[in-house]
Order: sequence, then C-alpha cells, then structure tokens
Amino acid sequence: MGALQAHAQEEAPKLYTLPSAYERYTHYLATARLMGAMPLGSFADNYIDKSSFQNYSISLEWVFRNSPISVGGELGSYYFEKRIPRALYDGADETISAVQTRTISQIPIEVFGNYHFLGKNATVQPYVQVSGGVSILDYTLYYGNLASQDQKVKPKYGVGLGSKFLFKRDGSLGVDVRVKYNGVSYKHEYIDKGISSVNGSIGLFYRWW
Amino acid sequence: MLKKASLFILAAGLGMMSCSKDPISDLSTEETLVYITNHDKAANYTQYKTFSIVDSVLVVENGQAGTALTELDRDVLIRIVSNMEKLGYKYVSPKSKPDVGINASWITNTYLNVVSQPLSSYYGGYWGGGGGYGYGYPSYYQYYQTSESYWLISMLDFKNPNTVDKTFKVVWDAQIRGAGIGDRQYVDRMVDSIFGQSEYLKIN
Repeated sequence: MGALQAHAQEEAPKLYTLPSAYERYTHYLATARLMGAMPLGSFADNYIDKSSFQNYSISLEWVFRNSPISVGGELGSYYFEKRIPRALYDGADETISAVQTRTISQIPIEVFGNYHFLGKNATVQPYVQVSGGVSILDYTLYYGNLASQDQKVKPKYGVGLGSKFLFKRDGSLGVDVRVKYNGVSYKHEYIDKGISSVNGSIGLFYRWW
Repeated sequence: MLKKASLFILAAGLGMMSCSKDPISDLSTEETLVYITNHDKAANYTQYKTFSIVDSVLVVENGQAGTALTELDRDVLIRIVSNMEKLGYKYVSPKSKPDVGINASWITNTYLNVVSQPLSSYYGGYWGGGGGYGYGYPSYYQYYQTSESYWLISMLDFKNPNTVDKTFKVVWDAQIRGAGIGDRQYVDRMVDSIFGQSEYLKIN
C-alpha cells in the first residue's frame, strides 16, 4: 500500500530542475596555470628580488559530492633569476670579481585541499587552499660562466586564496585565479631562511565526471 | 579516466623538467671573465722593493708542464710588469736577487666524462612500443671530453725563504677564468683587474 502511494506521487522527472551532474557526482577537475611570482623576505633581500613570469603548473583534483571540499595534486615549475653587474665579493681569504647570475629553479610536487564557499554550479566559486609537498630545487649561482650548483629535495607548503569562474553554468570549462604564498625550507650560501614567494596565477580548468 | 589523467600529469611534468634554461647565454665575453685573488694576510708587502718575472709562461696541462711564449703570453707578462711598477715595485733581472718573483701559468685540466646511452625506451613511439616493448640498448657508454683553462699568476716571497722546507711562500696569487682568457684583446683588462682588486700590494 505504502509503495503504491509512493509510486502514485512520483511525477515525470523535471529535467531542468534536476541538480547538475557536477553536484550529484564526485568529479575530476584539471587546471593549467601560468604564474607571476614575487620573492619575499630574506630570500628577496639576500638572493633574488626580481619577480618572475616563467612559472607554470598543472593540477588534478577530485571534487567531492555533498561536500565543499576538493583534494588534488599539483605539479609546477618555478624559476627565479637575477643578474648582478660586475662586483667584488670578499671571502675569507679570496676576493672574486665577477658578474653574478643567480638562479633558483624548482619543481614543486604537492597535494592540496580546497574549501569552496559556494556551490559547484555557481559561476563564481571562491576557495581557500592549503598545500604541502616537496620541491625539487636547483640552486645555481654563476660567477661569469663558472657555476656553483646545489640540488636538493626540500619540504614545501603553501596557502592560497582563489576563485573559479565558470564560462557558463553547468559548463565544463572555466578560468581559475589564485594568489598563493609558498614557503620552502632550504638553506645554502646566500639563502639562510628558506625560499618564500607569493604568486598570482591565472589558469584554465576543465572538469568532467 | 583517472589513469589517463595521471599519465597526462606525468607527461607534462617530464616536459617541464626537460626544458632546461641557459641563464648565462647572454653574457658578453668580458662579462664571463672571473678574477679571483688570494693573499697572505700576514704578509707585509712594504718590505718588498724589487721584483722579477719569468721570461715565459708555464703551460701546465693535466699535470704536465712546459713553457711557451706566444704573443698572448708576452702581452700578459708585459702588462704584469707595468702593473707592478705602478704599485711601486722596481723591476730587476732575476739574477739580481729580487724580493719577489712573479710566475705566470696557463693551466688546462681535461676531464673525461661518461654518459650512459641516453635514449630511454619510452622516447618516441614510432615502432608501437605500447605492447610493453622498449628498445633493448646494450649498456654502452659514451665518452666526451671537456677541458678548462685558466691563468694562474703568483707572487713568491724570495726575501724570506723557508730554509727548512726549501720553499718560497706564495704571498699573493690570482686566477683568471672565463671565455676570453685566450684572447689578446682582453689582456690589459684582465691583468689590470687582478692588480686593481689587490690594493694591499701597493707600496708607494
């Protein structure tokens, strides 16, 4: 009897009020980003203070259904460089006159979690992000054409604030804008308190299920 | 789907790592030159009055030495003499017991480097290596040589020889490295620079 009643109450599916598949299913979201990065703190004071636009990343995330949370992984490539005109560098016993070219390249590999403030189908989806992982880094300091190199894998973390903008409601393509602070614990020669930087990125994302 | 996506990320990651940068490709020849000077902090240079210099350049290659006097070498020696005179030292013949002697050497070190056959079996998919087949390279290795040369100019203390060890102490030395060191057009600049950054040598 009860089953019959339930059946009787069922109406034709309302196609246009059905929640979007992105709300009903846990789905995937891939983002490719271009970043501008600005060195901060003692890294900027002592080694490189020049901003860089040669930074990229790609990420893949799982957006959980019934939850404002998504988790994923991000792989990037960061590069900072600064040229210093000929100068004298005094060591313990030696004096070096050279044109310095200071570089840091990093391949960060991170996992991240995002908390989204609005629904998965809102055209604007602001989020906060925390991330952690490692950075495969290469410190190369050139004196003229002589290189002094140090390569390490070091822990890194980041906190970010960003927003996704869907091109159309329920669509699968959109733009991602993010500002993120990155810290890497690293100590070598000129770098005494780690590598910190803030980057602003613009990305393109695609989501599917 | 998930598998595909992670492969995509992996491939993109390898792509990022492989684009290596050459941050010093835009340096001019002059900018590649590096001048490194060392000195004995205990030395009192004012005790020296006279100097002499070798009549040719010592050429050291992989530990084997000979001498040479090319036009480049002559330019270097002459410029060293004029710099020393400017600093207040008197140029004398090696026979008249100079207080310090200057050696000039051109040092070349050659290194043999080895690389394993660099082709990973995953590069290129032309033969349809998808079925789990890679290329079976034997473990051949390739060798290549690199060599690095630099000028080494040293000042020896003849006035206070170590009679026990029978050695003359090096009280100052300079290395000149970089791309232009074999080019006569940079000689004046190179030699002036190593003396210019060693003001403590001045005795007048």
